[in-house]
Amino acid sequence: MIKVPTRILIVDDEHDFVEMLSMRLKEAGEVIEAAYDGEGCIQKLRQEGFDVVILDIKMPGMDGIQTLRKIKIMFPLVEVILLTGHGTTETAVEGMKLGAFDYLLKPADFEDLETKLEGARRKKSEQEERIRQAEARLLLRKGGNI
Amino acid sequence: MAEEDLNHIRLLLIDDEDNFRQTLFKRLGKRGLQVRQADSGEGGLALLKAEPADVVVLDVKMPGLDGIEALRWIKAQWPQTEVIFLTGHSTTQDGVEGIKSGAFDYLSKPIEFEHLLEKIKHAYQKKTRDEERRQEAAYKARIEQQMIATERLASMGTLAAGVAHEINNPLAIINEAAGYLSLLLKKEELAAMPRRQDFEKAIEKISSAVKRARVITHQLLGSVRKQEPVFAEVDLYELAAETLQLVHKEAANKEIRIYQSQGGNPAPIWIDPNQVRQILINLVTNAIHATGKEGKIEVRIEADPESSTLIVSDTGKGIPKENMEKIFEPFFSDKPPGEGTGLGLFVTRQIVDKLGGTIEVQSRVGVGTSMKVILPNRNPLKST
Repeated sequence: MIKVPTRILIVDDEHDFVEMLSMRLKEAGEVIEAAYDGEGCIQKLRQEGFDVVILDIKMPGMDGIQTLRKIKIMFPLVEVILLTGHGTTETAVEGMKLGAFDYLLKPADFEDLETKLEGARRKKSEQEERIRQAEARLLLRKGGNI
Repeated sequence: MAEEDLNHIRLLLIDDEDNFRQTLFKRLGKRGLQVRQADSGEGGLALLKAEPADVVVLDVKMPGLDGIEALRWIKAQWPQTEVIFLTGHSTTQDGVEGIKSGAFDYLSKPIEFEHLLEKIKHAYQKKTRDEERRQEAAYKARIEQQMIATERLASMGTLAAGVAHEINNPLAIINEAAGYLSLLLKKEELAAMPRRQDFEKAIEKISSAVKRARVITHQLLGSVRKQEPVFAEVDLYELAAETLQLVHKEAANKEIRIYQSQGGNPAPIWIDPNQVRQILINLVTNAIHATGKEGKIEVRIEADPESSTLIVSDTGKGIPKENMEKIFEPFFSDKPPGEGTGLGLFVTRQIVDKLGGTIEVQSRVGVGTSMKVILPNRNPLKST
């Protein structure tokens, strides 16, 4: 089976972490871009389409939660997986209430990450499929009215 | 002091002069005091041994054990008991001697009854005041000690959590780097790489060490996590049964039998089931680790109207006395490296504190350990 790559944007101010995770996910067959803060993340999302954003909660400047809010307003279909390096699972849960797909504690187990990435991507494509079908129905109905 | 309070006073009268003693005995009894009497120093001491007194009225001149001797005995064994000395007419020397030896005061015979009663009241009041002062001091010392211990644990916890947080980021980098390398090694282009197995082995070691470190950092962070408690009506016996399923396999591997029992009047209590489950898992896991093959573990729930008690006892190796103080400290563990993080009991105790409960340990080396967690049935909803 040919794997369809997931388009992933990794956002974390830890450059080394972003680099290593990118290399690993690329090696696993995904398409990866990186950003190092919230502003950079929004900018990248404006430029090209992504399926999933892996977003660190604790960042200088615009933090993960603020970035998440912005993503959900501007790109509501993009799924977000939150990463937290500290004990603030409450924040992560709050993030899920704001629309994040799930969260992971750093250092994350790679299998966990893969499962969640897969889930996030599936959710997004199912939603897109429903939208396509709804649009098709819309067209049909319009066609029938003529 | 109100007259009716006199009946709280336990008085012992020691005098060899029968008439004098009997008269005093009757008159003091009429005023409501709980009076006992003895005609010798030896007899008086025997009565005190049977039941202590608040105040002793003691004659100086007696055959056998005399007043001064008796006084020394009393003060040595019952230092809280106050003694009033009765001396012969105009022999103040004996009285002074008595006070020096610890008597409350002395009266010279012939004595005036009301005067003696006054003295007894004063002696009793002094005893009560001393008692209160002692209790207060002991209470203060205990609270201070508790506060020091709590503060120490709290600051250690905060520090440890801070360290854990800082370590998680580099740990995540190591983790991804090792994961990346192991992915690379699986590539076809590297199939013929020399000494490939050595690389695989080393990478495997890095990964498992990261996993070990992660368990520690996550547990530490968990210990200070401000988790919102979710309260529900919980049947502790059922919760325990359900929780034991989670550790069942580990116990079965060592052929350890786990029994469950309950006593008192068990009724559902209002508490956070997740936190109670965490406590139980930690205690039972410790018990399994400490217990050898074919050992026994008992999980018992005892309930009374105010509080519920969880008791986890094992037939394990026990905790040596010198470790008793340390077992709740973070990173203290007697398990081999990599098997225990030294955080289980630390976290358990913090949870128990949060729930407004207490935890007690009883242990004998070679016999077993019993951990007792007492939880209030109505939780005081402590914020942390």
